Amino acid sequence: MITATRKPLDDIKAMIRPFKKVLIAGCGSCVAECAAGGEKEVAQLASSLRMAFKLEGQAIELNEITVDRQCVNIFLDQLEQPTQANEAVLSLACGAGVQALAERHPDRHVFPALDTQFLGQTKQPGLWLENCLGCGQCKLYYFGAVCPLARCAKQLFNGPCGGSQKGKCEVDPDKPCAWQLIIDRLGALNALDRLDEVYEPVDWSCKQGRGPRKIVREDQQS
Amino acid sequence: MKTTSHLKQVLAQGHFAVTAEAGPPKGCDPEVINKKAEILRGSVDAVNVTDNQTGIVRMSSMAACALLLRAGIEPVLQMVVRDRNRIALQSDILGAAALGIQNVMCLTGDHQTFGNQPGAMGVFDLDSIQFVATVKKMRDESVILGGDPLTSAPPMFIGAAANPFADPLPFRVTRLAKKIKAGADFIQTQCIFNLPRFKEFMTMVRDRGLDRQVAVLGGITPIKSVGMAKYMAEKVAGMDVPPEIIARINGVPKKNQRDEGLKICQETIQALREIEGVRGIHIMAIEWEEAVPQIVKEAGLLPRPAVSGDGGPHAG
Amino acid sequence: MKKNVETTLTVFYCQNSFKENKRTLEAQAGPRVRLFPIPCSGRLEPLFLLRALEGGADAACLFVCPEGACRYFEGNRRASKRVAYTQKMLKEIGLEEDRVFITFMSANEKRPPKKMILDALAAAEKLGPSPLNKAPLKEKK
Repeated sequence: MITATRKPLDDIKAMIRPFKKVLIAGCGSCVAECAAGGEKEVAQLASSLRMAFKLEGQAIELNEITVDRQCVNIFLDQLEQPTQANEAVLSLACGAGVQALAERHPDRHVFPALDTQFLGQTKQPGLWLENCLGCGQCKLYYFGAVCPLARCAKQLFNGPCGGSQKGKCEVDPDKPCAWQLIIDRLGALNALDRLDEVYEPVDWSCKQGRGPRKIVREDQQS
Repeated sequence: MKTTSHLKQVLAQGHFAVTAEAGPPKGCDPEVINKKAEILRGSVDAVNVTDNQTGIVRMSSMAACALLLRAGIEPVLQMVVRDRNRIALQSDILGAAALGIQNVMCLTGDHQTFGNQPGAMGVFDLDSIQFVATVKKMRDESVILGGDPLTSAPPMFIGAAANPFADPLPFRVTRLAKKIKAGADFIQTQCIFNLPRFKEFMTMVRDRGLDRQVAVLGGITPIKSVGMAKYMAEKVAGMDVPPEIIARINGVPKKNQRDEGLKICQETIQALREIEGVRGIHIMAIEWEEAVPQIVKEAGLLPRPAVSGDGGPHAG
Repeated sequence: MKKNVETTLTVFYCQNSFKENKRTLEAQAGPRVRLFPIPCSGRLEPLFLLRALEGGADAACLFVCPEGACRYFEGNRRASKRVAYTQKMLKEIGLEEDRVFITFMSANEKRPPKKMILDALAAAEKLGPSPLNKAPLKEKK
């Protein structure tokens, strides 16, 4: 899942202040799961903004809509008319959704209401953790399904740094040392010998590519 | 250009090596380095120059090493992978060798959020072990990562760090083995205050025969005050200052705390000399380089050996 | 302190808390209080509180059953966190955080519901009228 958090209200106000009629568009997938950009959050933000502008004596019309995914064209179809009916759109999608929506509306401002954060999991209600970097070359096999690139603060590939103490990371003692997790898991699975190897440097071209990456699947094309 | 590191020869000839650390200034005045060179001259075999330690911007380690060389002191260039990608790291290895620097200490580096540039991009393109392997490849095979040949190979004596006090302990030895496998010639350890734990670590090192493959230099840090001891114990990641040490410093009047710290150093050094596999010491007197000559002298480690083959010791 | 007779309050309460039904409570509370029973205080959404203020209430309040007495175990604890979250939003909006608040019922609550509601109204009165209710709007050009 892609996680996100809402921008400060003042930043959002500054973006939409010049407009009289703004669409607040939620996204019902990842950002709804992380309680940042779903229908509920759209309603909260709309209500907050209406009050905030009212306190300033500013009238603004805010319209609300939430679609299943802002990053997929068939769902963006549902935003076609509402977007055109407003002067600007405040999107509560991740960065991918904001851009996908904007691309379809060259004549409308589309603003991000969220700060997109990371690929992660919902560990428990109200707690989301980063655990994937999208490096393009998954190495979880070697590391007992704990990614040192995403979960070690120094992206170490060959074991914990000298700051690992009592299973905690030196950078943030609230967080587990990813390498302690790796060692514990591989130890329990009797596969610690996998860590004897000196792993080669990461091939970052798999992540960075030649600029933005793309996936082409002809069999999926119409 | 000299072809063999002085430190390498000191160790090769079986001497108990002594290195010390010198931190570059937060400014561009070369005299700071020259002054530290004068303080350390004759007391140590080589001087490590830290690389923006704790993520605080300082004069570049390479420039400070060049200044030490000019002053006739053998430098150990510390390089962290935090700030440079593999292109810059390899390029700097070549540049360092061209300047006459022949010892490199390959480190991960403290996380950038600890320093005064917390918004910096942490590079960590290579990790310290991959960096060691890269320098070894450059030196022994005269190629860079990916296999492209060099026109000349950098004759680096390759160092790496070990922290016997971090967790998990068994993996600390595995990690040391990996550093050796990657190509480390010498190891400098984290400051040793917890001797029992260090001895346990060295037993594991010997059990795997690692002491015969690498020269381990034990880390020594003189404690200046009880405040410093507590700070290291509580605030510095990866440091193990046992309560007994803090109590001991605390047990003497404030004006005598430095002396007590130096006394602990002496005891630690003598203990290290007894541990099989420990081939020298690395003194990290943080912003207290003046203490180094006294520590080395009182430990009976003077004069430092002159070794043949390098036209006389740089620091001798 | 000068009493503001116009003060209005919206009260959300767990429907398991009172044996009186909503209509009875409304009759007791008077016209300045709007009452909304919810299945459990843990089901309170920050949006309910925001909408109450946006809709004209000077304050919005949540009645929470005592710690440990929640039929759904921890609804009341969750409710406290949501009210705290809403208060942070109010600050961003530019409203006083106290305009939403919690009234904790004690384990052996002696006050009749009417008294509790009027106490909450009195607390709301101390805040004075919501700035939202006096701000005139100007049209953008």
